[in-house]
Amino acid sequence: MAIPLAYLGAGRMSAATMSRQPGFANSSIGRALRSSWGARVTSYFAFVVAWQIVGASFFRVPTPWETLDFIWREVSGGDHGGVRPGQFWEHFSATVPRFAIGISVAFVIGVVVGLLIGSFSFVRALLSDVLLVFLALPAIIWAFLTVMWFGLGWEAPVYTVILSAAPFVAVNVAQGVRAVSPELRRMSDAFGVPRNRRIRSMLLPAITGYLFTGLRFAVIIGWNAVLLAEWFGAVDGVGWRARLWYDAARYKGFVGWAIIFIVFIFLLDGLVLSPLQRRAFRWRASPSSDLKAEVGAVDTESFTNTAIGL
Amino acid sequence: MGWAAFFGIWAFVSAVILDEFTLPGPLKVWNEILEIVRGGSWADDFLISISKTFMGFMIALIVGVPVGYMMGRAGYWKAFFHDGVVGAGSIPGIVYAIIALVIFGIGFQGPILAVGLISMPFIALNVAEGLEGVDRDLLSMSTAFGRSDRQALRHILIPSIMPFAFAGVRLSFAIAWKVEALTEVFGSSNGVGFQIRFAFQGFSIAGVLAWTLMFIALLLLIERGLAIVERWLFRWRTWEQAA
Repeated sequence: MAIPLAYLGAGRMSAATMSRQPGFANSSIGRALRSSWGARVTSYFAFVVAWQIVGASFFRVPTPWETLDFIWREVSGGDHGGVRPGQFWEHFSATVPRFAIGISVAFVIGVVVGLLIGSFSFVRALLSDVLLVFLALPAIIWAFLTVMWFGLGWEAPVYTVILSAAPFVAVNVAQGVRAVSPELRRMSDAFGVPRNRRIRSMLLPAITGYLFTGLRFAVIIGWNAVLLAEWFGAVDGVGWRARLWYDAARYKGFVGWAIIFIVFIFLLDGLVLSPLQRRAFRWRASPSSDLKAEVGAVDTESFTNTAIGL
Repeated sequence: MGWAAFFGIWAFVSAVILDEFTLPGPLKVWNEILEIVRGGSWADDFLISISKTFMGFMIALIVGVPVGYMMGRAGYWKAFFHDGVVGAGSIPGIVYAIIALVIFGIGFQGPILAVGLISMPFIALNVAEGLEGVDRDLLSMSTAFGRSDRQALRHILIPSIMPFAFAGVRLSFAIAWKVEALTEVFGSSNGVGFQIRFAFQGFSIAGVLAWTLMFIALLLLIERGLAIVERWLFRWRTWEQAA
């Protein structure tokens, strides 16, 4: 009980009390460490240290250095100490088109189905439970089914991405359509606003945000889906390559690829999707809660929705 | 009507668009389910998977509540945990399965670790958000009237955190259940995920569908159940939401 209480006032007290004390805490390094930037750097450092400790105590877990060394050999085409040279780009360039085609098709299907569900109540009644089952289906099931349907090749990954990502786009678009206020709709009925103006100034602004959220889910879920499908049903691609190292019991290869998977999705999210989403939301006031504001595009609700789809 | 539509579409696709072998119809899968149920060991598989999931949740609560508490209380810790907690949502599920497999190999600890890792950020984020909503006047009043820190924790902080921690569990249940099964697919010798993998390796499409349907039915049932439990446990809060 005593430990958590120490934090009760820690947030506001520490800066005031510590700045009165001389020595390290008040030096420029001490202050830099306490800033939120310092906290972030410290957290990454702590993560690497924790990994090092786990790596040293479990014999299968490679250390950060071994993993980094593996990634470098794989990317640069270097030698893995055997007959196999590093192969990163050929597998990466096999996976990316599958992923991109899958996401594009999933997005189009999702938008169409979402618009239908959002606009017509009988479509919603008809499809809402179908959608529920599709949302609840893990990507691994689609991977298994498509592998059994199409065999090994490019089809299984592409179809797995489509089937697992499309429902999330549809749900988001449908929510967007339903978020158009009924008063606006009735008013434009009353004033006889023409159809294409209605779409441009009423529907589009209402669903833009939902479209981007849907796209983000599709990308995150689709990435997981393409990896799983390649793991079980392909003869090349990054998922297959990770499996190769697993089957060879070379765990640093396995973990190295897991790191590459994370880095890829973080880069895609941080450099492409989040800026796009922020652009689409420029005209809006920022969210109220400050934790949410800081978290930015990933507010708790979309975070939850994303997670359901993995 | 929704469920009738679901089975109707399924039967139509199976009979007209594809064929009975590619996509077995509802009836065939139902017979497969009956066979699995008659086999008897299905209950064990589900019990094993559920108990692994809940053990994972226990670990996630034990770690996630203090982390969320620190994040909600101190700016330093909010910045410290921010990247990890937010980034965890976009890490592919397969990575969690890999981590669990590498650390524990094939065994029962892997799925527990995967569930713990994936649901911890939800709980932490929810608790942190819950703490920001704690009535600060209530806290300063309890100090003014000489209540001890212990009493403040017991009567103000914990009651305000718990609903959020529980909501974190409920919200992350669907994903935890999926990652648990995924980890079992990759490395386990029992559980639902193992059975799905087993059906896949036997090239039994009906078998995969039968286990999947049972898996989804249980997911939806437990989710509804958790929602009811949540409403019952925190029924004292309803006046607050109504206000």
